[in-house]
Amino acid sequence: MSAILLKDVSTTYQGEKKPAIHDINLTVETGEFLCVVGPNGAGKTTLLETICGCLKPVKGEVKVLGFNMASDGVKVRRKIGYTPQDFMVKPDEPYKALDVVLMGRFGKIGLLRGVSREDVEKALKVMEMLEIRGLAGKPVGKLSGGQQQKVMIARALAKEPEILLLDEPLSNLDYDSRTKISELLGEICRRQRITTLVVAHNPEHLLQLCQRIIVVSEGKIIADISGGELEREEAVRALIPGLKVGLR
Amino acid sequence: MIGEIPTLVFRSAAGAVLIGLLAGLISVFIIRIKLSSMGFCMSHAAFAGAALGVGLSMNPFTMALAFSLATASLIGPASDKAKIHPDLITSIAFPLNMALAFIFLTLTPGVVRFTSEVTSILWGSVLSVGFQDLVYLAVLLAASAVMVVLFWKELFAIMFSRRMAEADGINTKPFIYAILFAIGIIVTFSLKLVGGLLVFALLFNPAATALQFSYDIRKVAMVSPLIGAASCLSGLFLSFALNWPAGACIVLASTLGFALSVALSPKRRIGK
Repeated sequence: MSAILLKDVSTTYQGEKKPAIHDINLTVETGEFLCVVGPNGAGKTTLLETICGCLKPVKGEVKVLGFNMASDGVKVRRKIGYTPQDFMVKPDEPYKALDVVLMGRFGKIGLLRGVSREDVEKALKVMEMLEIRGLAGKPVGKLSGGQQQKVMIARALAKEPEILLLDEPLSNLDYDSRTKISELLGEICRRQRITTLVVAHNPEHLLQLCQRIIVVSEGKIIADISGGELEREEAVRALIPGLKVGLR
Repeated sequence: MIGEIPTLVFRSAAGAVLIGLLAGLISVFIIRIKLSSMGFCMSHAAFAGAALGVGLSMNPFTMALAFSLATASLIGPASDKAKIHPDLITSIAFPLNMALAFIFLTLTPGVVRFTSEVTSILWGSVLSVGFQDLVYLAVLLAASAVMVVLFWKELFAIMFSRRMAEADGINTKPFIYAILFAIGIIVTFSLKLVGGLLVFALLFNPAATALQFSYDIRKVAMVSPLIGAASCLSGLFLSFALNWPAGACIVLASTLGFALSVALSPKRRIGK
């Protein structure tokens, strides 16, 4: 069974005639690490949000972990860790960083059950891995953009997901943090066999981690590239000139 | 008559405290989930219903409850199905409710039009809170508190971000609809004391005040009902002392509380 299966999927935003993504066919096997690249407005975020069920396709079928997202979306989302693009919290929001990370587990914990000590420990462990444990008691809106981004990644990982969907997870981080976090993500996903899709405008830090690169342009998948790092880099460069794909 | 005064004061004070606690609790969800315009709209729907009740010589508060619950059951699904921002729907529904209220009052036979019943719907009346209302309010408060405790985890996530809560596998719709219904019921009961034109202040001010002092939503949820109760009680005694309308005095007290909280808020201090 494939972890993610999209059959002829098209998603159109309300009030739009032209679909943001159209006739998408994609199969992702369990444990695969995929990078979705493409220029601005290509449909990368729409693709990710369609997979997680945040957007309903107008055509086609989305299956995640064998379940149809149209009918079982709520249940399946409890197994999906998702970080949206540029999710920033306002400075006076009444939430601590630990609250936000812990919230990732709420769907999984289920109704009428409280948060256990084990849940808190798991959330703190992920924060430790991402080097933000010291920020646990701080108001999340007071953190820098990069720190907030780490909190959102921690939230997705604290869920112990089977699928990880990350939309530009490294965009607000400095160079060193990008390197560290991307290596950490690679290690966790490999160790726990988490199927991972990362949307990245500039996938320079992710190229060595991913097994496949999906290139999206004008709402369509125009290339599905696997093979060695160098070949993938060359292929993406040829398809989208100017895209920063390598570390060189 | 003299013997009735302590009973009246007790009933009004107990009603004020219960309404304050309820409104203070629901205001946390209204502000955090950005349902302010819905609360505004619902308070005027209750007002329109009460006006129709007066016009038809029926119990105005039963009609107010029916109108606010009907509004609650329409706005949530309409906003979800049509994917229209709730603000837009409520902006349309608000003047419609006001228009209906004034039409119902105009159609009311002449003598009845400006009776104490109508003015009490508009401005509230300490005389209108009965013992039965206190029982209903106490039951409603207990039920609301139990629901909040049982589903705190889900409400907590929805208050942070409905979109993220959904992405985490929380079915947010039942919670949002339940909150809308709770707003409708609380608004109707508050109508008696505060009046249809001022009740919405109670739906925002307590939580807005509590939010000035804390970065912890749990503390905000605990303090906001106390602020609501304190506003209602102090406003009520101001009304007794100055012989001003109770609803107006409660709104004055609650707005003063908010203004003070903004002035004293540690969130607004720099380098201290």
